Amino acid sequence: MTRGLLGRFGAGIITVFFVYALTFLMVVSIPGNPLQGGERKMSREVEAALRSRYHMDDNWRYFADFLGGALHADLGPSFSYPDWNCNQIILSALPVSMLVGGLAIIVALMLGVPLGVVSAARQGEWTDASFLSATLTCISIPTFVIGAFLLYIFAVRLHWAPIGGWGTLAHLPLPVLTLSLPFLAYITRLMRAGMIESLGSDYIRTAIAKGVSPRVAIWKHAFKPAFLPVLSYLGPATAQAMTGSFVVEKVFGVPGLGQHFVNAALNRDPGLVLSTVLVFSALLVAFNIVIDFLYTWLDPRIIEAV
Amino acid sequence: MMRSIVLICFGLLLPILVAYRFAEREPRADFTYVNPSGVHTLDPARMSWTQDFRIALNVWEGLTSWDPKTLAPIAGAAYFPPEISSDRLTYTFRIREDARWSNGDPVTAADFIRGWRRAMEPGTAADYAFLFTDHIAGAEDYVRWRQETFDLLKSLDTVAQAVEHDAAFDQAAKDAEEHFSNVAVESPDDRTLILRLTRPCPYFIDLTGFPTLLPIHKSIELLRAQYRGAPYNRLGLVTYDPQWTKPDYHANGYSGLVTNGSYRIADWQFKRRVRMTTNPHYRDAARLACRTIDMLEFDNLSASIMAYESGDVDFLTDLSVPYEHELFRRSTNGERPDFKSCKVLATYFFNFNCVDEEVNGRVNPFRDARVRRAFSLTADREHIVNNVLRRGDRVARSFVPHDAISGYGPPEGLQRNVEESRRLLAEAGYPNGEGLPLINILYSPSDEKVCQAMARTWEDTLNVRIDLRALESKTFAAEKREHRFMIARGNWYADYNDPTTFLDTLISQNGNNDSGYSNSEYDDRLRRANDASADEERFRILQDAERMVVERDCPILPILHRVEMIAVKPYVHGIIPNARLWFPFREIRVDR
Repeated sequence: MTRGLLGRFGAGIITVFFVYALTFLMVVSIPGNPLQGGERKMSREVEAALRSRYHMDDNWRYFADFLGGALHADLGPSFSYPDWNCNQIILSALPVSMLVGGLAIIVALMLGVPLGVVSAARQGEWTDASFLSATLTCISIPTFVIGAFLLYIFAVRLHWAPIGGWGTLAHLPLPVLTLSLPFLAYITRLMRAGMIESLGSDYIRTAIAKGVSPRVAIWKHAFKPAFLPVLSYLGPATAQAMTGSFVVEKVFGVPGLGQHFVNAALNRDPGLVLSTVLVFSALLVAFNIVIDFLYTWLDPRIIEAV
Repeated sequence: MMRSIVLICFGLLLPILVAYRFAEREPRADFTYVNPSGVHTLDPARMSWTQDFRIALNVWEGLTSWDPKTLAPIAGAAYFPPEISSDRLTYTFRIREDARWSNGDPVTAADFIRGWRRAMEPGTAADYAFLFTDHIAGAEDYVRWRQETFDLLKSLDTVAQAVEHDAAFDQAAKDAEEHFSNVAVESPDDRTLILRLTRPCPYFIDLTGFPTLLPIHKSIELLRAQYRGAPYNRLGLVTYDPQWTKPDYHANGYSGLVTNGSYRIADWQFKRRVRMTTNPHYRDAARLACRTIDMLEFDNLSASIMAYESGDVDFLTDLSVPYEHELFRRSTNGERPDFKSCKVLATYFFNFNCVDEEVNGRVNPFRDARVRRAFSLTADREHIVNNVLRRGDRVARSFVPHDAISGYGPPEGLQRNVEESRRLLAEAGYPNGEGLPLINILYSPSDEKVCQAMARTWEDTLNVRIDLRALESKTFAAEKREHRFMIARGNWYADYNDPTTFLDTLISQNGNNDSGYSNSEYDDRLRRANDASADEERFRILQDAERMVVERDCPILPILHRVEMIAVKPYVHGIIPNARLWFPFREIRVDR
């Protein structure tokens, strides 16, 4: 098992490297001068000084320098924010995103799993139908609509929450709830599907036929295999919630990492684009490895496959 | 199993929530405002955005400042007015005795020279370095020498040429002070600053309040890059640790950012907030009504408006939301007197590509001034301003806004005349638009409405076919720079209070001349204006030059002069809408 996990770790590093190389290729290929702030043109002297400062004269050197720096936990300067380096930007934004994203996943998990189980246990009844409709609604309506709606109701009309900013407990509920809704919906549907399949299996029917109560059959025997699809979804979902919450960050003014993903690309800030992509891909790989590990814990048969 | 999941979730959730619940909360600032796109930099030499200027001019103080009502220069860290020699070339400023840095040090002439030298150094990469090279005697030669030194050291920066590189570096480091001594800025004593201009410049005093000309405290030298014991980097550039703008940065004995304005930076949280507190050593510190000021950063303009409406924010500097016309309507009908309009010194226009024979494989008809004039004569500016945008902008027929620069009257410009435009088009070989290629208009998405309306007008009146190309802003700037357009949207905000801030951009060699217009007669007129001895004569020459470009040659098509809206709570006093969006915090009083 250790060898298997080490293999996954090695494959993860190679994956991150390829993602970095591909992103670098795109960064240097797209049109637009990263050094150009607005539409006012910079003089030759200014451009030469900036190119020298950021080692932009030689793409290969920049590629190697950035990678070397990243290996020493130094992500270099940001072009769009000259007073800050990428380490400071990531360190300022990542904890915020991890908090909002982590809480959103926890909320989604705590509500989605029971809802999925109840939905599966009452398959075909109105409870099941209403849960299915609600989840479909959560998946279909974009988060910026839900976010703006919640903001209007709870912040503008009821004054129960602040409109923007960051730093207190009151700033958390609305972005967390908004971000959690699509994940909650997916988890509910995955759990429902897993549970229906699990409840239909021979050993559960046998257990019920032998007198095991439905409650025990569901929670003790059927739950574990039914939870596996949810578990495999949790890896990418957690990484996505923690780094890809741009829309929610924009609506609620949350100073997280998602905004840098988008703004760095729009600003053609190669250092920040590469830094955010590296962080995101590393997180994605790490969460997937953790999920693989949890998988083997839940279903020992997988160890053999690994 | 489910119990384990619940326990794990609660185990993760509780400590986070408890930590946040008991996290230290600072009390609300006396005055809170929103800068929607935040702060790009707090380094005055590298600033080019209005929101950065606004903070800089409140935490630093230049030789002069600007009156928020009239925008005329007033006393800053130096007494006003300065002594000006009879040939209008030499300016002598006396620094005030009570001008103090936020750490109590007196502000000296050397602090200004340090700031100016740093801003003109190529290593700083200041967008506005031209303010020195264009005006101060010797500055252009100094910068050219620095650039040549940089080019030489860069060419020698290889392992094989290490010895030659170091020898050249040592020589350059030795020569630097001698070269800088030829720049005509000197301080015979701590409180006297004397500078000499290359030629008389009637608006130079106005420039001395500009952020690029702010002083820098000597403590920054602790963070200067060194190589071989000299204060230059390996390529001979003057560079500093970019963290010097942080109030809590203490590397190498640095005490954190020291400034000389009415306020100082107390805390800067990236993409969240800048907190300013009064500078205890500022001469009028006791008079300042607001002791703490917060600048919040909201990426989402609508959220900032909601925060304003709910009372969390006292002042908004930008209301350019898609429903701005509605805010303008409420402001003008008296429903919302707290929404105010500022007639900014800015012109929104279109560039015609005057140079390239072909654009994207198609013949470019705009090389012919008659075609440019024909397109200009059909523009329906009133329709754009009154029906399309509806936010109170002013119709523009000149490049320089009317009634904006004291003593200068821009030309009338072209009135709409469809018959004349058709005649001109026929004369150019395109009767009724026949023979014209597909005309492309390049713009960024925020200009969609205006470009759609313009395209429709041209299609209807001149019988041309228009290809609208909306590009994301960076790509748009790159395409415009490479001249891959026939017509491209332009936008120019004045840097200083003089017509040349607009008209210089159409000089043949100017880097911001997007249309590629090149006319020696125009260049010559601007040169003659520079040499004119009297303001009246100078303005007359500039007016003639402007008439050439907006009525005859038409490299640009002015559309409107921007009006920008701000929102000020009724209990906030001292914010005066003005053309520079300059709001000195020292004037603000909050009576909640």
